[in-house]
Amino acid sequence: MSFRFQKTAVLRHETVLLLVLVLEVVFFQLAGRNFGTVDNVANIVRHSVEIGLLALVMMPVILTGGIDLSVGSLLGLCAVLFGKLWRDAGLPWELAALATLGLGALAGGFNAALITGLRLPPLIVTLGTYSLFRGLAEAITHGTDAFTRFPERFLFLGTGRIAGVPTQAWIFVAVGVAVWLLVHRTTFGRSWRAIGFSPEGARYAGLPVTRRLVLAYMLAGLMAALAAITYTARFGTAKADAGTGYELAAITAVVLGGTSIFGGVGSVHGTLLGVAAIAVLTNGLSRVPATMSNAAELSGLLTGALLIVALAGGALPGRIGARRRKEHPPAVGAPVSDPA
Amino acid sequence: MSAVLQLTSVTKSFGAVRALKGVSFELRAGEVHALLGENGAGKSTLIKIITGAHQPDGGTLEIGGQQVAQLTPQAAHRLGIACIYQQPALFPDLTVSENIGLRLESVSVLRRVNWSARRERAAQLLQRLGADISPDAEAGSLSMPEQQLVEIACALGAGARIVIMDEPTASLTQKEQHRLFTVVRELRASGVGVIYISHRLEEIFALADRVTVLRDGESVGTRNIGAGQSAVARCMANERPESPHPGPLPGGEGERQPATRPAVRVPFAEPLTTILPLPSGEGRGEGVRDSRPAGPPNPSTPPITESELIRLMVGREVSSIYPAAEGEPGEVVLALSDLGCTAGGVRHITLDVRAGEIVGLAGLVGAGRTELARVLFGLTPADSGEIHLNGHSVSIRSPQEAVAHGIAYVPEDRRRHGVILEMPIAHNLTMAIHPRLFPGTWLRFGAERSHALESMRDLAVKAAGPDAPGGSLSGGNQQKVALARWLATKPRVLILDEPTQGVDVGAKSEIHKIIRRLAQQGMAVLLISSDLPEVLGMSDRIAVMRGAEIVAMMPRGTEAHAVMAAALGQGRGES
Repeated sequence: MSFRFQKTAVLRHETVLLLVLVLEVVFFQLAGRNFGTVDNVANIVRHSVEIGLLALVMMPVILTGGIDLSVGSLLGLCAVLFGKLWRDAGLPWELAALATLGLGALAGGFNAALITGLRLPPLIVTLGTYSLFRGLAEAITHGTDAFTRFPERFLFLGTGRIAGVPTQAWIFVAVGVAVWLLVHRTTFGRSWRAIGFSPEGARYAGLPVTRRLVLAYMLAGLMAALAAITYTARFGTAKADAGTGYELAAITAVVLGGTSIFGGVGSVHGTLLGVAAIAVLTNGLSRVPATMSNAAELSGLLTGALLIVALAGGALPGRIGARRRKEHPPAVGAPVSDPA
Repeated sequence: MSAVLQLTSVTKSFGAVRALKGVSFELRAGEVHALLGENGAGKSTLIKIITGAHQPDGGTLEIGGQQVAQLTPQAAHRLGIACIYQQPALFPDLTVSENIGLRLESVSVLRRVNWSARRERAAQLLQRLGADISPDAEAGSLSMPEQQLVEIACALGAGARIVIMDEPTASLTQKEQHRLFTVVRELRASGVGVIYISHRLEEIFALADRVTVLRDGESVGTRNIGAGQSAVARCMANERPESPHPGPLPGGEGERQPATRPAVRVPFAEPLTTILPLPSGEGRGEGVRDSRPAGPPNPSTPPITESELIRLMVGREVSSIYPAAEGEPGEVVLALSDLGCTAGGVRHITLDVRAGEIVGLAGLVGAGRTELARVLFGLTPADSGEIHLNGHSVSIRSPQEAVAHGIAYVPEDRRRHGVILEMPIAHNLTMAIHPRLFPGTWLRFGAERSHALESMRDLAVKAAGPDAPGGSLSGGNQQKVALARWLATKPRVLILDEPTQGVDVGAKSEIHKIIRRLAQQGMAVLLISSDLPEVLGMSDRIAVMRGAEIVAMMPRGTEAHAVMAAALGQGRGES
């Protein structure tokens, strides 16, 4: 059985993705209207921060071989909780925001407890909490209530600029750097990777597998809460349906960024490139006259195509293949017709 | 004597690596031909060429007297080549008969499955092997040896003329081995050519007619094997029920009752020659039909001895196999009193291990040795009894606590537990010392690299470099990495579980020297091994386990049969 070290393959994948991003930018610059303007770039950034934040923390979760389908629903729940705490409990928005972050982390911890405590598959657990969190959000608002009229200082988070750059972009950059360091420069990232390759191997190596998994899912919850805050600040309203479908957008960006869905392989910068490639595509299509009217549909379609092409053309099939072969050694001369 | 398989001057390169440098190999009908060589000698490549998984770069391949070019796995299957892997490749969620049906029935969308015929056939094939396996059992619920038998049933059903067995006994108990040997002998008797790969020399002497040794991609010789070359071989060959079995086995443990009483029931109601029909059908079987067992080896070449064989393999004489102990052991480091774990499957364990002492844990597979190690390492924490370390009572609830107490465990299954195959060697080597090497959790790549280089030098790990993935290493070198990872924790207690299983002869004796050196440095070593000579040779004392308990403590120099008898539960109540 031969293993090739995958570092070079990962680099290649990310280089390909960077190339795709550059091509997108060049194309939309030439074909689109007002694509490269300062306002539009700011617009792209504003629109991609929430999904970007979710993707940044989805990446470590997927790196451990897990998945978190609940982050979009948790974003909705956190938005509603934030509104409730601010409007109905009368907390100042700063305190309400802090409490929301805590509650988000707690919800992530709930996922982790089910996954590590009851040894349930992450897919099943977070599929359950995906419905649970959204259902709670709707129960709190009775499906109709929406929170509005937030103070100016709060809305500044979603609509203002600091040094010419959208406020939430600064938050995103800070989180991006933090997660990158966590994954690539600390023992946390090393452990996540080991768990992703082999949960049992990590346990036998004496790594604190449970604690590391709890951290990954709590981070995901925390970041869903942060995304809920920037989301609410951007739209000026908090509703139960906030962030619907964001979990899949985040997963798409992570996988497009070269993180193996089987765990172990991937990089945060790849994820960031994945987020950017999708965001630029979506925005760019709405800037090209020919595609302006149905940009949303087309971007969905093209994202799907991009995902398949990038993964098929890149190194990922080899990686998946290597893992599959390891787990299920092929039977030589298996099902063939009986000559007798 | 006809050759069913003839490879002539086969070469194969992977990039710059020349895996095979002109290997010739002949397999006759009705012989068991052992293939031997250190890991990395080219055995796997050779097998992959025979099974069509790799195409040779040069040389010729003749199957059944006909030259074959561009052999594919499908063609190899059609030509009657079957390979039984150490890890059977059955679909775990399908039943045995479904698995057999999938291999043997022709595939067509329109074809309907004849369930009763499929089941019937599976039952027949299994019965031919004397295997007591229900065709309706899920493959995943079978033990490893049972799954192997199903694989062999597939080979039988496909009318295989060439059967390749790749370390088939690695995870078998002795009784299961005997049963497998019987099957192999019957295959031979029916004219099948068997290529048998194993690291266990005694097996080769017990079973094989000829042996070919590969070294560094070259064949260094094909020799005849004479019967009775070694005492072990004689012992292992002595498995036919010449002396009738004295009554039912004691204990009522049925299948689990291991067996190495002089007699083992041969699981065949009748000689296999009569129930294993020779392959029939035109275009197949020429050279098989007319050739009965290969007969006595060519008398012109004298049979090879064990030491000659080892010399051939390693290209040097392996002098003293087991390094001797020097000096007296020190203080008691690890003391267990009445330790038990219901979930883990051990009970009433009372055992001392002193500094500088190697205590061997002997016993059959499933006797509770690995289970004891798992309890000590906190994987399945104890629920009764006490663990004392250097005189202090400690509780070990998790591997992290075990590590904190200075207990290290090098697990049995190194590919799943010992090394993370996809990760670089350096990462593997530092995995158990994160807190010490990376205080404040920040990775220090420079420190990691120099630690890795130092470890690799200390244990003479042969690798492309510290960045090479663990999976790129040979078995012996993987084992060294797994060991080095734990030595880095500077443990007080080192538990080694089958440290030389599947490791080639050269690396094996290196690992033995390392273990002895570690004990001499004051470590308390608990050595679990199914390799009886290894336990006898390495241990200062031997604890024999059976049925989740320690049933005997024996001093150094105990005879093999005494240990075996204790492991089997013979002589219970006597002496």
